Amino acid sequence: MTTQSKVLSDPAVFEAEQALVAPPEGVADIRLGLFSFAHLHASSYAHYVSQMPGVALAGVYDDDLERGRRAADTYDIPYFEQAERLLAEELDGAVICSENAAHAPLALQAAGHVRSILCEKPIATTVSDGQAMIDRCRETGTQLQIAFPMRFSPPVMELKRKLDTGILGEMYSVKCTNHGSMPGGWFADPKLAGGGAVIDHTVHVIDLLRWLWNTEVEEVYAEVGHELLHPGLGIDDVGLLSFRLTNGVFGTLDTSWSRPPSYPTWGDVKLDILGEQGMICVDAFEQNLQVSSDKAGKTSWVHWGSSGDEGLMADFVAMIRTGREASISGEDGQRALEVALAAYESARRAEPVRLSP
Amino acid sequence: MRRVGIVGAGAISRTHADRWQRMPGVDLVGFYDIVEASARRAVEQFGGTVFSSLHALLDAVDYVDVCAPGTAHAEPVIAALEAGTPTVCEKPLANSVADCARIVDAAERSGTPLFVAMVVRFFPQFAKAKHVLDSGAIGAPGVIRTVRSGSYPHPGAGWRSGVANTGYYADFSQSGGVLLDLCVHDIDYQRWCFGEIERVFARGMMFAGKEPKDHALLTIRFANGAVGHIEGSWAYPRGRFCTRIEIAGTGGIIEWDSRAQQPLEISIETEDGILSASSSSPTAPQDDPYYAELAHFVTCTEAKTPYLVSPYDGLMAVKVSRAAIESLRTGKAVAINRA
Repeated sequence: MTTQSKVLSDPAVFEAEQALVAPPEGVADIRLGLFSFAHLHASSYAHYVSQMPGVALAGVYDDDLERGRRAADTYDIPYFEQAERLLAEELDGAVICSENAAHAPLALQAAGHVRSILCEKPIATTVSDGQAMIDRCRETGTQLQIAFPMRFSPPVMELKRKLDTGILGEMYSVKCTNHGSMPGGWFADPKLAGGGAVIDHTVHVIDLLRWLWNTEVEEVYAEVGHELLHPGLGIDDVGLLSFRLTNGVFGTLDTSWSRPPSYPTWGDVKLDILGEQGMICVDAFEQNLQVSSDKAGKTSWVHWGSSGDEGLMADFVAMIRTGREASISGEDGQRALEVALAAYESARRAEPVRLSP
Repeated sequence: MRRVGIVGAGAISRTHADRWQRMPGVDLVGFYDIVEASARRAVEQFGGTVFSSLHALLDAVDYVDVCAPGTAHAEPVIAALEAGTPTVCEKPLANSVADCARIVDAAERSGTPLFVAMVVRFFPQFAKAKHVLDSGAIGAPGVIRTVRSGSYPHPGAGWRSGVANTGYYADFSQSGGVLLDLCVHDIDYQRWCFGEIERVFARGMMFAGKEPKDHALLTIRFANGAVGHIEGSWAYPRGRFCTRIEIAGTGGIIEWDSRAQQPLEISIETEDGILSASSSSPTAPQDDPYYAELAHFVTCTEAKTPYLVSPYDGLMAVKVSRAAIESLRTGKAVAINRA
């Protein structure tokens, strides 16, 4: 894990990798397969890799025929009804954006057929699934990268640089939110998603905190609300986590799907970090135009800031080219998942839960 | 003309005195403070009499306004109630749940009106947010988040005269730190908005040995299943004070942030080319929250109608604050006994 954080905590290394010479125009040295468009991020990831020099998209697999064909048409690539057919296409990497519960079966199938896997977060819906993925990838020499694009959000990267200078002195507390709109569909299906707002929105921020300070969550307490904001949803839509980190910092994280359809944007990722010398507040999606549209019937914030997804995909491609370790490993994904699952356990027991070191 | 006397001559006392002075039909007749010099300085600024004892003050007034520190509320408040003098008690109602219970008991026994000055309910943006919530515009309550964060209350320009003793706040065993001094506002506000509180869990710096800095993050479960989050701080950098409201419901959300764009912004380029900038959010005099709460007290007292804040509300806010401190101490969630 030390090597991983070294790669990303050093902007010079990251930038040098980005400048790697791509093959001559029209020549692709990397073939990627896209495994499912169930998660909305698939379109964004596909968009960025489709524009990267030297990267060829070999095709789309999706168990939803219509969704898969639509995606394949968008990028003008073949659609595969079966994952093994796409895996037979001599791929270098697999991008898995299925429903959470399908991450494990797809990754287990792909490991060994591809050198590298990018798996959407959370790594899985259970610790045993996540561990099976990690083990299989290790056994087959497959690089497993978890998609935590917030590490590549420029405001967040700047936060890391500032924190690394020690500017805040002793660190006291961090107040975080990862609010969202209720995504609906399979996100609200416990079997496919593994949970609601808590599993969906715990992992991004917990991963950031682990990465920012090279620390772990020691204890978590959570108030979880089921159908509090969306009557009849059948799953948790409110989550308030209160945690202590091994570095002594305490904090809270609001994971709630509390942004209604009438809200100007989908949600937020915010961290207010308080230390001895002052505070740093990051609102990662604050770079917006305000657009009022009669057609839309509301006022919206249209993001113009840089996309973390682009950095994530560039990092994934650089990993394939260099053969280095994943910058965000399966273990990173597993640690974040464990915190989300501990939050559910805490809410069931109405007491804090300690995480095993 | 109604005669008002103030018990205690510290910082909040001056804020109240200033509002009483402006209020038509009210005569601020003077101050009593256990430190007579403090009362004398207050009289120099606001006029009236320096009372030599609590009873001398009670004999000379129609209303009493208790602005002593929370540790010293019970005695004057109970004496005033027993004397039949309608009373304003600054928040927190008292620093201990036991003192609060004694006060509530005295209010019930005497039947004398007691108003707990939970001023946040009178801040126009907080009052309006509650009004919008109650209107049903955002549906049923789901999540409420509020912030009340700044630096430790160091003596300001008005305090340097020696009237106020800020050491009180730094002694957490006296003041209860941010959980009792600041978060009590938000606990009361959130309870006003979402109803009774079932349990509270807190993390904070109260016992971290960083006095006078303090910082706390609370998670609250309401009896109706909704949840709340409170940040209170005396650890922010100076000049970075901030309050926030966020209330999410089944059909919408309300937000307000004190640091958002202000209605009045002044930017002056000084001769040496440095920008001098300031901003403010002016409101009409009657909408000033301290004026509004004291005027509310007078109006309700004269009309014999209930106050917006009951003695029980004052008690419950302290109970939850104390439960939060207990949560810090034990590391566990603490259930609130509503009996």
